Amino acid sequence: MSSTTAQSGLARARKGLAPGGAGGGSLNRKSKLSAQTSRTFFWLLLPSVILLVLIHGYPLFQAGIQATHDGNLIATGNFVGIENFQQVLSSPAFWKAAQFTLWFTIVGVFGSWAVGLGLALLLRTKIPAGGTFKVLLLLPWVVPIVVSSTAWNWLVATPDSLIPSIFRNLGLGTPLFLADPTLAAVTVMIFKVWVSFPFMMMMISAALASVDSTVYEAASMDGASRFQQFTQITLPLIARSTYISWILMTIFCVNDFPTIYLLTGGGPVDATTSLVVLAYRTVFQDFATGPGVAIAFLMTITLVVVSVILYRQIRKSSVE
Amino acid sequence: MNANTHQSRSFSRRGFLGLTAAAASVPLLAACGGGSASQGGGGAGGAIKFWDMPWAAPAYNDAAKKIAEGFSGANSKATYQIIQWNNFYQTFSSAIASKTGPAVSTGGGFQAFQFEEQGQIAYADKVIEKLKSNGQFDDFLPGVVEPFKTSKGYVAVPWQLDIRPLWYRKSLFEKAGVGVPTDWASLLEAGKKLKGIGAVGFATGSGAGNNIGNHLMIMMMLNNGGGVFTKDGELDVLNDRNVEAVEFLLELVSNGVIDPAAVSYTTDNLNAQWKDGKAAYGMLTLGVPERVGDTSGDIVVASPIAGPHGDKAALIFPNNIMMYTNTPSQEASEEFVVYYLGKLKELWQQKLMNALPVFKSITEMPEFTADPNNVKIVNEYVPIAKTFASQGTALSANLAALDGGQALNQFTQTVLTGKTDAKSALTAFDTGLKSVLKK
Repeated sequence: MSSTTAQSGLARARKGLAPGGAGGGSLNRKSKLSAQTSRTFFWLLLPSVILLVLIHGYPLFQAGIQATHDGNLIATGNFVGIENFQQVLSSPAFWKAAQFTLWFTIVGVFGSWAVGLGLALLLRTKIPAGGTFKVLLLLPWVVPIVVSSTAWNWLVATPDSLIPSIFRNLGLGTPLFLADPTLAAVTVMIFKVWVSFPFMMMMISAALASVDSTVYEAASMDGASRFQQFTQITLPLIARSTYISWILMTIFCVNDFPTIYLLTGGGPVDATTSLVVLAYRTVFQDFATGPGVAIAFLMTITLVVVSVILYRQIRKSSVE
Repeated sequence: MNANTHQSRSFSRRGFLGLTAAAASVPLLAACGGGSASQGGGGAGGAIKFWDMPWAAPAYNDAAKKIAEGFSGANSKATYQIIQWNNFYQTFSSAIASKTGPAVSTGGGFQAFQFEEQGQIAYADKVIEKLKSNGQFDDFLPGVVEPFKTSKGYVAVPWQLDIRPLWYRKSLFEKAGVGVPTDWASLLEAGKKLKGIGAVGFATGSGAGNNIGNHLMIMMMLNNGGGVFTKDGELDVLNDRNVEAVEFLLELVSNGVIDPAAVSYTTDNLNAQWKDGKAAYGMLTLGVPERVGDTSGDIVVASPIAGPHGDKAALIFPNNIMMYTNTPSQEASEEFVVYYLGKLKELWQQKLMNALPVFKSITEMPEFTADPNNVKIVNEYVPIAKTFASQGTALSANLAALDGGQALNQFTQTVLTGKTDAKSALTAFDTGLKSVLKK
């Protein structure tokens, strides 16, 4: 088979078309709703809109007030404009936390995705006790974070813990996983990947399940190798789920408070302080409500921007 | 067109952005979220609402509830509610802001001063008067009431003392063939010998949720005649005594007398070191044998050590009962506090408390003196005890930002990692404190 034929076959396969099948018809028609239907939609949506405004709009409004005032949790205080934002943005602690948050998110998203993808592909093969294996793999996601962080603490915290002991017995020294700033940051990121990969695995498994196996048969008949099938069929067909899972995991990572706080408390020496931990500590340990809420505001804006960028990728992948 | 494309049409940009904004707003909601609150402000149906913390084992709260609910005075009753330590300040703040807070409560050591600044505290001057008239005021241990006096009145009344004594494990010192330290020099020497047998010569920790390391930093400054504040309450971090204290701590770290992993030790990790016979000496709270589950008598209180200039000191937190302006009856609140203080001895009689009493009569009770560690602490530590106010005596809201704040925690962790010098660490601590302390 020629290379052109294989590429053509792969292109058809990505569209979900079996060999010789017709398709590619467009459903791109715009719905035209009557005025009555629009009104019905409006009334049906209204309760949800009111609920959203109450649940999200009001706290956002209050947060806006707190971020622009010098008050505390009880009294609003005096209006200070953007002073809290200026204070936060000129603070080295903020940028250090932002840098850690970025790395934590990158490793958390792509690390858990890579592990999740690998395991999802593994689970598609016929392995003994696959069902049990799948359930066991879900445990890190299912177990409460308080329990898993305690377990991880026992594993790594002291020189006599299990993992440092193994390193020592192998002649690799006694690494202080939570006491060394760099190792602590790495440990927290690995912990995050461990906690999050089952979510990715489930998302990808669901996406893979929706891929027609005949697509792979068609690609094989067209001469595509396993690697070509993976890169040219599997990844594109699960792209939409991948982007959605990336968006969700980005939000989970940036907002992740317990994983970090329970394992390291943000230490040592702020090495694992993320923005959400910094916001918490600023409000509830330094009692500086305005700057703390300002940090949370900046996080929200960043998350929305990142989400929009990733959403565009989803649309792009859908159009393709 | 495949199925994915069709689905993407119904998954609109606007809908998606709405969903994203909602999810992304979680940090804002988290930062602004209020704690739980229930019932009406001060007290439902005219009853005094008393909020108490889990100061000891659950049996303590059962007993305290029984005492509180036994109140009947000023035509009023009292209700009892336990408030968990996690996010307690948020819980109190949101409840007070929504007028659903307590009329009377225990709480953080400096909480009364924080809420006093916000106009939420009812001054306890009349309680003090009543205690004077019924003779109970004279029963207070010396100097425990005065720290709560401000220019406007007493913001709270003490009810128990949380102190940080030094403990040691006898068998480890015997095994190392070294005496219990009496001063800093002997602490360093003993630490080196203890390290030789695999023990920790000065156990501490400043991992997630563990403030023992923070308290150790302040205690060592006090032990050298220094501290964070002057007698007048002015910030004084960079004084020579503090520099000397931090240099000594760094020496302990560099010699391995302080565990190199201590910076990450949680309370559980630290307790495990004591339980497993690894920790030989260190500063902790009261009731260490009971806490770590070794009541064999091997873990006992050590005498206070002297600094290089002969100073001795211990760190103490006078915990207090405070009254709030939002109450169904101020008279009933005051009656309740007087009543509750009068019943405190029951808690020590039942051996439920993990703290020192504020009343001399309780320290003389057989149930209290039966534990020689208690007697030693009262006799040797209480007379030299100082608060976070250091050389000063008056407490303030600023001490809350010092106690639980980021500046002290970062300073402690910097020292415990050993990768600093004393002046640099103290300068950073000073800068951090100045940014959060109110003038």
